[in-house]
Amino acid sequence: MSLKQSGAFSTVETYYNDYGQRAKELNREGKKVIGYVCSFVPLEIITASGAIPFRVRGSIHEPITRGDTLLETIVCPYYRSCFDLSVKEKYAFLSGMVIPHGCDSMVRSFSAWSYGLPLSYFHFVNIPSVCEESSLEFFGSELNTFRKSLEKFTGKAITEENLDQAIRVHNENRDKVRALYEFRKTDPPLISGTELTMTLTAGSSLPVEESNSLFDQALTEVKGRGNSPLKKGPRILIDGACLDNIELIQLVEELGGNVVTDTICNGTRDHFPKADADGNPIDALAHRYLDKINCPKTYRSNKAGTFEGDIENRFGDIGTYAREFNVDGAILYVYKYCDPFGFEVPARKVYYQSLNVPLLHLEDIYSAGTMGQLRTRIQAFLEMIG
Amino acid sequence: MTKVVILNQGIVASIIGPTGPEQRRLANRVMEEALEKISLSFSDITFIVSTGYGRINVPFSDKQITEITCHARGIVHLFPEARTIIDIGGQDVKGIKVDASGKIVDFVMNDKCAAGSGRFIEVIADTLEVPLDQVGERSLQSRNPAKISNICTIWAQQEVSSSLAEGVSVSDLLAGIHQSLADRIVRMVSRLRVEPSVIVTGGGGKNRGLIKALSGQLKQEVLVPEEPLITGALGAALMGKEIVEKARQYNTPLETKERILEAVKIL
Repeated sequence: MSLKQSGAFSTVETYYNDYGQRAKELNREGKKVIGYVCSFVPLEIITASGAIPFRVRGSIHEPITRGDTLLETIVCPYYRSCFDLSVKEKYAFLSGMVIPHGCDSMVRSFSAWSYGLPLSYFHFVNIPSVCEESSLEFFGSELNTFRKSLEKFTGKAITEENLDQAIRVHNENRDKVRALYEFRKTDPPLISGTELTMTLTAGSSLPVEESNSLFDQALTEVKGRGNSPLKKGPRILIDGACLDNIELIQLVEELGGNVVTDTICNGTRDHFPKADADGNPIDALAHRYLDKINCPKTYRSNKAGTFEGDIENRFGDIGTYAREFNVDGAILYVYKYCDPFGFEVPARKVYYQSLNVPLLHLEDIYSAGTMGQLRTRIQAFLEMIG
Repeated sequence: MTKVVILNQGIVASIIGPTGPEQRRLANRVMEEALEKISLSFSDITFIVSTGYGRINVPFSDKQITEITCHARGIVHLFPEARTIIDIGGQDVKGIKVDASGKIVDFVMNDKCAAGSGRFIEVIADTLEVPLDQVGERSLQSRNPAKISNICTIWAQQEVSSSLAEGVSVSDLLAGIHQSLADRIVRMVSRLRVEPSVIVTGGGGKNRGLIKALSGQLKQEVLVPEEPLITGALGAALMGKEIVEKARQYNTPLETKERILEAVKIL
C-alpha cells in the first residue's frame, strides 16, 4: 500500500517522515514548543498558554543507545526510544517537556528526563490512579498547578477565555478525526489505516489550528475519492498503547487486512473524547482527561460487582468500536515491559471472547527488526479469520 | 531444511533438503530433485504453494500460505482426531488449536528467542559433543535429570559446561535440557487450553527424549507423524490441491506462474 503522492497526504508524509519540521520553524520564529508524551497531558492548557504542544515520538528504526546509559532496560522500549531520541537532540527545538503519571516508567524516569535534557521548563502532571469523586477534585487543583507553572514560564496569565477557546479548537480537532474515522466504515474503507494513523501522528507535531487545517485537507481529499485504496479484506481493530510508527499497520494492510479502527493513544484514545464546552473549563478538562480517556493506567473500581460487568465497564469502548466499525478480528499489540497493558492482557482476552471477536495478541520490542516475525503471526491470523 | 511434497491422489514424492545462507537460491534444486525422483517435468505440476520462513523466496510458487495454516492442514489430514498441534522447529515453536472440523481456532508462537526452540537442544548437544540424532536416546538413559535453571541458551550452555566439570553425567544433563525445553513449550501451549489428541510435529518430533518429557508434563499421550519434517509441506500441497479442485468445480481461472524452475536472483 503506497500513499497517494498528492495534496494532503503528501504533506502528511512530509511531516511524518521529518517529524518536528514545523515545530523547528516555529521555534526559530520565537514560539515556545512544549514536548509531551502520553494521552494524559492536558493539551488545552498548553495551547491556552500560547505555547505549542508537541507529541514526542520514538523511532523503531533507531537503535536505543545513549538513552540506555541513563535509563534501565526495565523501562518499556517505546518510552526508552522517545527518551533516547530526546537525549540525542532530535527534539532540540523544544522549550520544555511535560510528562504525566501515565505509567510507572513515566513516573520513575521523570528525573532522568529533567537531568538529561537541557530544557528550561519541566512539569510532571500528577494524574490520579483511580477515578472517584475525590480524584476529580484533586485533579482539578493539579491542573491549576500546571496552569500556574506555565503562566510562570511564559510570563502570561492563562484566562478562562483562553481555556474556553483552547477547548473549542481542540474539540474541533477531535471532530475532524471522528469524521476521518467515518470514512473507515465502508468496505473496503475509503481511507487506509496507514494513511489515517500517519495523518494523526503528523497532526500531533503541529499547532492545533494547523493540525485542523491539515485534517480538513485530508477530509476533502478522501471525500473526493472514487475508489478505496484498499481491497476488501478482514476488518481489523488495533488495540494497544501508542503506535507512533506506522510499520505494524502497514504490514497488516500489506498482508490483506484492513485496519478500520483502534484503541491506540495516537488514535481513538487521544482523539475521541471531547471536553465539555460549557461550564468551568478546569472541571471539564479534569473530567475529560481522568474519566473520559479510557486507559488501563486508571483503576476503575468494580461497580457492577461481577466479572462480566467489570470487563464491560473497563473495555466497553472496544465493543463499541468493534460493532461500529464492523470488525472481523483484533490485534492486541503490547510493548514488552508495558505495565498498564501487560497486567490487563488476560482480562482483555476474556472480553474479546465475550464479543466473539478473534484476537491476536502480540508482544513486541519497538524495533523494525521484529517485523519479519510478526509477519508470520499476522498472516496466519488473517488466514484463520479470512 | 527445505522440504518438497508432490501430491496427486496421495503423496507421490517428498524430499528434505538442507537450508543454508543460500536458501533463497535452493528451493529450485530441492524441487528438481523431487521431480527427478518420480520422472515428472516441472510443467506437470498444476499448482505450487510455498510455506515457512522461506515462503517469500520461492519465485515459482503460485501462492504463499503460512506454516501455521499448512501444518494444521497437514496434521489434520494425517490425524483427523487432532485438536492441539505442537510444531517444534529449529527457529521457533508453535502451538495450534483446531476444532472438530480441522479449522484453526487459535495459535501461539514463542516470541522470546532461541531458548524456546529446537535450537536450544542443538546448541547444548554441540557443547556436549553428542550428535543431534542421539540426544533423545541418550537423555532416556538418565536416572537423575539435572536441573537446568537458565532459560537463555547461552547461559544454559555455560551452566551445562560447569555442571559437566562438577561431574554431572551427559545423559543427566541431556535429560535436564529436554525437561527445561518441554517446560517452556508446555507453558506456552497451555495458553491454548490443551485438548487431546495432541500431535507433535517438526524436527522436535523426531527426538524421543523430548516427546517423553512433553507427554510427562502434559500428562497425556502425544502422537507423532511418521515423517514429522514434512507435515508443513504436505499441508501446503493439500491446500494447493483444494485451490485447484475449487477452481475446477466453479470453473474459475487458476492463477499460476509460468513453470520456469530457476534460482532467485540475489541482488
